[in-house]
Amino acid sequence: MTEPGAMTQRLRETCRRLLEEGKVQVVIGWGGAGRLASPTQAESPAPLSFPTQAEPHAPLSGTPAPRPVFITRAEDAEKLEWNDRCFANLTVYLTRKEVKALGKAAVVVKGCDERSLVVLEKESQIERGSLHAIGMVCEGVGTPREAKCAGCEVRVPRFADETIGEAEGAAASATAVASRLDGLMAKSPAERWAFWTAEFARCVKCYACRQVCPLCYCERCIADKNRPVAIETSASARGNFAWHITRAFHLAARCIGCGECSRACPAGIPLGLLNQSLAQATEEDFGYRPGMDPKAEPVFGNWSPADKEDFIR
Amino acid sequence: MSAIIPVAELGELVAGWIGAGKLVAAPVAVGDRLLYQQLASADQAVFDARRRPANSIKEFLFPRHEPLFRYRIEGRGIELSEVAPEEREQIVIGAKPCDAAALPILDLVFNWDFEDGFYTARRARTTVISLACAAEDEACFCTSVGLGPEDEAGSDAMLFDLGDGRFAVRAVTEKGKALFGERQAEPPAPRPGPEPKFDAARVGRYLASHFESPLWKELTLACLGCGACAYTCPTCHCFDMVDEGNAAGGVRVKNWDSCQFPLFTLHASGHNPRSVQPQRQRQRLFHKFVTYPQKFNAVLCTGCGNCERNCPAGLGVLAVLKAIDGEAMNQDAKEPVQA
Amino acid sequence: MQKNLYKPDLMEVLDVQRQTPDVKSVRVRFLDDGRARDFSFRVGQFGQFSVFGSGEATFNICSSSNWKDYLEFCFRRTGRVTEALWQVEKGDTIGFRGPYGNGYPVEAWEGRNLIFVGGGIAMPPIRCAVWYALENRAKYGDITIVYGARTVADLTFSGELEEWSRHERVRVVQCVDPGGETPDWKGEIGLIPTVLERAQVPAENAVALVIGPPIMIKYTLPVLDRMGVREEDIYTSLENRMKCGVGKCGRCNAGPIYVCKDGPVFTMRQLRSIPNDF
Repeated sequence: MTEPGAMTQRLRETCRRLLEEGKVQVVIGWGGAGRLASPTQAESPAPLSFPTQAEPHAPLSGTPAPRPVFITRAEDAEKLEWNDRCFANLTVYLTRKEVKALGKAAVVVKGCDERSLVVLEKESQIERGSLHAIGMVCEGVGTPREAKCAGCEVRVPRFADETIGEAEGAAASATAVASRLDGLMAKSPAERWAFWTAEFARCVKCYACRQVCPLCYCERCIADKNRPVAIETSASARGNFAWHITRAFHLAARCIGCGECSRACPAGIPLGLLNQSLAQATEEDFGYRPGMDPKAEPVFGNWSPADKEDFIR
Repeated sequence: MSAIIPVAELGELVAGWIGAGKLVAAPVAVGDRLLYQQLASADQAVFDARRRPANSIKEFLFPRHEPLFRYRIEGRGIELSEVAPEEREQIVIGAKPCDAAALPILDLVFNWDFEDGFYTARRARTTVISLACAAEDEACFCTSVGLGPEDEAGSDAMLFDLGDGRFAVRAVTEKGKALFGERQAEPPAPRPGPEPKFDAARVGRYLASHFESPLWKELTLACLGCGACAYTCPTCHCFDMVDEGNAAGGVRVKNWDSCQFPLFTLHASGHNPRSVQPQRQRQRLFHKFVTYPQKFNAVLCTGCGNCERNCPAGLGVLAVLKAIDGEAMNQDAKEPVQA
Repeated sequence: MQKNLYKPDLMEVLDVQRQTPDVKSVRVRFLDDGRARDFSFRVGQFGQFSVFGSGEATFNICSSSNWKDYLEFCFRRTGRVTEALWQVEKGDTIGFRGPYGNGYPVEAWEGRNLIFVGGGIAMPPIRCAVWYALENRAKYGDITIVYGARTVADLTFSGELEEWSRHERVRVVQCVDPGGETPDWKGEIGLIPTVLERAQVPAENAVALVIGPPIMIKYTLPVLDRMGVREEDIYTSLENRMKCGVGKCGRCNAGPIYVCKDGPVFTMRQLRSIPNDF
């Protein structure tokens, strides 16, 4: 496998070339050095990595996690980084008007992020032809690896306009996916209700889950409508359940499992489990996995005379 | 009675307060993070001087969702009734100094000409026992806003982790003395805290004269417009008021709100003075480092770093301020400021 | 118990008048007589008016502060709360919190000539000041009111405008946009800044109160400047999205100014230092 250092170099070269040749006006990638750092200080803040009891006075440290950066000048390509802390799914920026205003974009994607591109195009939110996708061959992110990385089938991006990293040797892991979900679904409904009641009690309605999700692109979310009020804005039990269940349903058969919602939640609620359970149902009942096959017709917005009707009584 | 308290005794004290019917809040382990929460039992509390909870203690004085009054609709008449106030005493223990220091800052706005009785009543009932910091991370910047890892602002008493399972306690106010009696440890050798990461005065000066600046667009592209920063911030206090109920009546509530949401300033007419994210990010910086200081002589920030740590895009105020300080330094170099 | 800052007073709706196809004015009185007796306000202040179940909205108190038996406010049917207000009838109960804001500096205006310039739904916050001045006639000089709307149907308080013009040393100039006139329209036709200029109002010793949409204000200011009215003598009342009205919720500030506490009344001189944030 190519070392991350070399991939970073190739990513920067690619970015430089694209901008110098005028192929794109902005490259959306991960990075952190430069403007968003004072001249004498280190880059982004360390993630939450703390010493154990064995070393009570060891200083806090950690590799800075790269943050989303928007490179518009070739000389800024140096800011780009690629490593196993490139968590963010950058495709979320493709539907934001401030970013669209910058012009034609190149976006750096891992295989999981790339699935968003497939769905976004199916839903007419992006024009795939006017977007330049740079795929990164990925061995997983996070230390320890994020749950979503176990059993990943898309280590090598499949539809990128160019891919960086060695494709050989990047075999899919055979580890079973979503063991936490299996554990949850093995519980009784009453136990699961109690689980989510406890989790949602911490929700403050910050909507980080929504804002970080590439597929939550509605100009005016149903939670923000007040004529009538469909979902109470309060961070109460009722308001929180209403929000999270509605959002999960609005993502049913669309969510590609990037896990950004869980990562973004400041209260540590494992929101992705809700989406995963609906993704499982989608696969079992409709044989459909969002973002995997660009030719597959989405579950919603399509019908055929062969659709089963045995649930109509 | 020693001013040195072993952690077990601290636990017993907390259990005693809970047993006496007081509300007690402390950092609690939730997955891989600490969160301030109301304790069901003393053994939930985590007293770790090297970690910072991912939320703040403001919610014990300024809840995320607070009923203001009830209304009943009877034909064409309305009946209003007060919500029964919380009477129980409240203790927050293990607060970081950057959380405690937020309270005197919030006192200023909640008492400005009109007293917000909901906040002041809780404030009066609350005792804050902070835990001085034994470490910091790269997101911390308390020293850049005039505070420090052992600053006593807002604390009624302060605990110092001696590193061996024991804590030294110092009472700071009468409320603190009421809880700990005459225990008064000598403070350990002061820790310097993080290196200052920007010059607050220089930044305030620059901000005040650069309301319109291309920097805002450039620095804030990564901002996704969620409320993670505002809601985990010890000093952010913007709120919304909504009616929740049905045709028979309901309750008017005060809910946290964030200036980063697109609809925050949307007029019913459709006009939105802050229709794009750079304007909203600018507002956040301005409110904290220009508006609040101009009005109340206090920066609306304690340098806790929660915004930076919780932002999905890593874009807390620190990131933006460091960039602005860099710009301000460049500008001062070109046009030196007359002192 | 500490008075609940956010709990409204209950008000009985005494009267509702349809001013234009989408504007109504409402007259309310306090249900609590004690509160009614103790209540006073300054013209230019505003209140937070509730329809319980829908929420609160901010409106200028458009009645004169000399009128003791009731308050009036005016609103356009635009959003959730105003839609609910549109359904309100005489005999209904609504809520009121206030008075908030700084109001007009009517004492500082004494001895001056008053020029009121307003467009469309901006008449209500001018109306209260006009009545106040007329009720303290001796304290003020000449009064000129230039008021216009897009069409005749959009003019509010038309009857009162007529009445005002019959007072001594009061001149009322009404106008509608070109194309907004009816066949029997006797007033001016033109945009407000143009009409103001044409009106040749003497500006000596004058203060002006100009309220209207930003674009109207933008083009009216140069006219006032040419007339010789100084920026510190031109006043306006700002609108901004509000919730608490008492400087706490953080929503209404424009740059370093809290519109609900430092305003909503500002001079043009003050407005120059307020950033484009409202």
